[in-house]
Amino acid sequence: MMNFTQYKAKNNPVEAVNLAVEAAMKANTKLNAVVTMVDPGEQLNRLDQYAGGKMFGIPIALKDNVNTSGVLTTAGSRILGNYVPQYDATIAEKLREAGAIVIAKSSLDEFGMGGSNLSAATGPVYNPYDLSRMSGGSSGGSAVLVASGVVPFAIGSDTGDSVRKPASYNGIVGYKPTYGRISRYGIIPYASSLDHVAFFTRNITDAAIALEVLSGRDDRDMTSLQLPVEDYASLLNPSLEGKKIGILTNVLKAITNPEIQAHFANLVARLKEQGATIVDIEMNQDLLSAILPTYYIIANAEATANHSNLDGLRFGVQKDGKEIDEVMSASRTAGFGKQIRKRFVIGSYALFVENQDKLFRKAQKVRRLIVEDLKHALSDIDGLIAPASAGVAPKLTDTSMDQLSSTYLIAENYMVMGNFSGYPSVTLPMGYCDGLPVGVNLTCKLYDEQTTLNLALAIEQATGLADQIKEVA
Amino acid sequence: MNYETVIGIEIHCELKTATKMFSPAPVTFAKRPNSCVNEIDLAHPGTLPSLNKNAVKQAIKACAVLNLEIDPLVRFDRKNYYYPDLAKGYQITQQFHPIGKDGHVSIPTSTGEKIVRINRLHMEEDTAKQFHYNTETWIDYNRAGTPLVEIVSEPDMRNAEEAVAYVEKLRSILYYLGVSDVKMEEGSLRCDINISLRPVGSEAYGVKTEIKNLNSLNNIKVAIEAEIKRQSELLDKGEAVEQATRRYDDVAKTTILMRKKEGSVDYKYFPEPNIPPIRLSKEWVDEIIATLPELPEARKERYLSIGLSEYDATVLTQNKDLSDFYDEILKHTDQTKIAANWCISELPAVLDTQHLASAKNKLTPKNLADMINGIKTGTISSKQAKDVLPHLIQGENFEDVVNRLGLKQVSDTGELLRVIVDTLDEQAQSVVDFHNGKDRALGFLVGQVMKKTKGQANPALTSSLITEELMKRKP
Repeated sequence: MMNFTQYKAKNNPVEAVNLAVEAAMKANTKLNAVVTMVDPGEQLNRLDQYAGGKMFGIPIALKDNVNTSGVLTTAGSRILGNYVPQYDATIAEKLREAGAIVIAKSSLDEFGMGGSNLSAATGPVYNPYDLSRMSGGSSGGSAVLVASGVVPFAIGSDTGDSVRKPASYNGIVGYKPTYGRISRYGIIPYASSLDHVAFFTRNITDAAIALEVLSGRDDRDMTSLQLPVEDYASLLNPSLEGKKIGILTNVLKAITNPEIQAHFANLVARLKEQGATIVDIEMNQDLLSAILPTYYIIANAEATANHSNLDGLRFGVQKDGKEIDEVMSASRTAGFGKQIRKRFVIGSYALFVENQDKLFRKAQKVRRLIVEDLKHALSDIDGLIAPASAGVAPKLTDTSMDQLSSTYLIAENYMVMGNFSGYPSVTLPMGYCDGLPVGVNLTCKLYDEQTTLNLALAIEQATGLADQIKEVA
Repeated sequence: MNYETVIGIEIHCELKTATKMFSPAPVTFAKRPNSCVNEIDLAHPGTLPSLNKNAVKQAIKACAVLNLEIDPLVRFDRKNYYYPDLAKGYQITQQFHPIGKDGHVSIPTSTGEKIVRINRLHMEEDTAKQFHYNTETWIDYNRAGTPLVEIVSEPDMRNAEEAVAYVEKLRSILYYLGVSDVKMEEGSLRCDINISLRPVGSEAYGVKTEIKNLNSLNNIKVAIEAEIKRQSELLDKGEAVEQATRRYDDVAKTTILMRKKEGSVDYKYFPEPNIPPIRLSKEWVDEIIATLPELPEARKERYLSIGLSEYDATVLTQNKDLSDFYDEILKHTDQTKIAANWCISELPAVLDTQHLASAKNKLTPKNLADMINGIKTGTISSKQAKDVLPHLIQGENFEDVVNRLGLKQVSDTGELLRVIVDTLDEQAQSVVDFHNGKDRALGFLVGQVMKKTKGQANPALTSSLITEELMKRKP
């Protein structure tokens, strides 16, 4: 149950990794978070060459959409139920070179398409704070492995809050950097223009160290930024003197849960005490209400093309057919879950030549307007904050949310702005409602990871909720 | 009725690059199947495209010489369709913003030069190759991802001759630029011909068919002629031409229906999210254009200016490899006409002049130039040169061959004189005999000199030099 610094101080990777493996096996019987346990033996044998690495000897988990050479990588889908990659994702290489040890590939909504983790081929992932509740998704497996104390770090991916929402539900840090800061090469995609590699830690200092490990230009990803890796951890500074923080009032107005409102008010008061200037920021309500439909069109359109490679011909689970077309269609029909097939239909529909103007291209325009509005909102402040969700983690069977309410459209989905814009955005613990965690989200200006981490550290100090863990018995 | 033929041509041309359009896998022809592929070409999950800068450079070269307006913002789109030869399930192409648009090229016709407008040139990636057997389909992904440009003409051609001239012109230009191998038989240059007929004087276009599978210039010619005949017969009978894709059948010498076009396929194009728009630096583009290689027309002009005949200049220019070789020869000799004669008349009889740059060819331009210089200075005769050439092709030096075969006449007075002085010194008795009136002694001495020079001494010169030297030694 240590943070990065404590792992380093103890300097016993073999013991740390063995404990983590043991904990993972035990926790998994309750949480169903793991798709594949990874044998750490070989990695430990070669660990010496990475001595001095920033994550030396630290056991970690990877979301199962991160390609790992020689290790089953399913992306949570039946169609990749037998897929063993021939190559490592860039971040798998970077983490190995930093000395991290992968002990598990974690569960996700099928191809990251979902916010509940209920669509994973291996079944739902359970929330360690209440096993009758969902982990959130799509990076649910990674979130609960960090929250339950198994590993201090896990990779996720965030296409429409898929790291920042489960971070809120599980009382941990979920950091999504600027688009292009971390290479996507080797991450099985959902929607390319929205996909971000993101990650979970239990405190902001660990997040800063991890970001140093993961960042940097990768020539194999043309959307990766040509910017140097900065010394995020050593430059961490929680001082709020002279800092201006905006409160996104549209979200607060949409939240009906008084406990969450109280936690947030409490936090704001403490940030003021620490010297921050607090201002109300109101964004265009219509644009915020349009986030979800805009997201659905763009994400599903990109997804339907991104997953056209999954035809059962060259890899993955192949089903029989008389002709090649039949093989492709049988493999896809058997290989994808119902939700995924629905999304592909929506995506294709939006791309039909007769629909593009009123759906796909319109969604692109609305996306630009939303990003413009967010840019304007951030123009005079250092960061924008709001509760990361309208409530605690829902029950697994809960379908009561009115999907046309502003609570749902805005409070539950505004964080997608971070994916539309690519701006850095982090969720961290804000408090507990009846023992269940709720988070606060912070979004900052493009490329400005340092301010994001600094303000997040200030929030962490204000709440005193670093290193939160909920073990499962 | 009299019809006017309207022809537009789409050319797919594989670019000459070391690696593929979006992956670092090598581009090679005829390697073992599926040996030049990596995870990107096979579209394994999680792979991303990385644009080949050299392919963009090649496309820019082609745009420049085809007078196309170059879009300084390079953008790509996805063309979505399922097919076994398309691993990703979409092709990355440039649907919305081609790198080049609105260009033109001038082609020779029997009635003079004609301008053919070019609508666009865009970059894309090639597909895999499929091999259909009785019950199986085999796929070779070596070709998958090979860089391509597609060049689309306006419907400006009016007969087979013009169509062939257009393709020939583009082939020649692209080959000279080093942009492509342009081998139609190997598929590195592929043509789709769109053809329709309309009554003479009509402005409206008739229904067109598209002919694929044309792997030689001659096939283009005969296929177009066959299709004109087929369409005009239909129209004469009052029947309609059906919009369709057809292929030329080499054996039947006619076009055969491949598939009807019942409404066009919706490829659901959208901008490629994994390749951000790339701004081309003006300096880079300018530098590429400034360093374009010499094109066929310029080269022909240059040949005419150094005294070659129209015929020689034309023949040389038509074969770039031979012409490059000729230019190399000219670095070592000023005998432009003799060199041209040898390149045009003699080399094709003994060498594959399409592949002079290949490692197999051991004939160097320097050796051939030495031989040509030798002919000019009288070291060897033209007739002897023909005996020398096969040895040069084996890789021997000109000097060595001439020496070894004893073809070279030693006509150097100084060199000969040294041998003569030595010989007379050794043969003192013969010198005495000569002065005693024994004429036979002169013949003997000449024989000795020839022996020493291994027969290469110029006999007449030797004889007169010996006589001179003997006179000096008169007792």
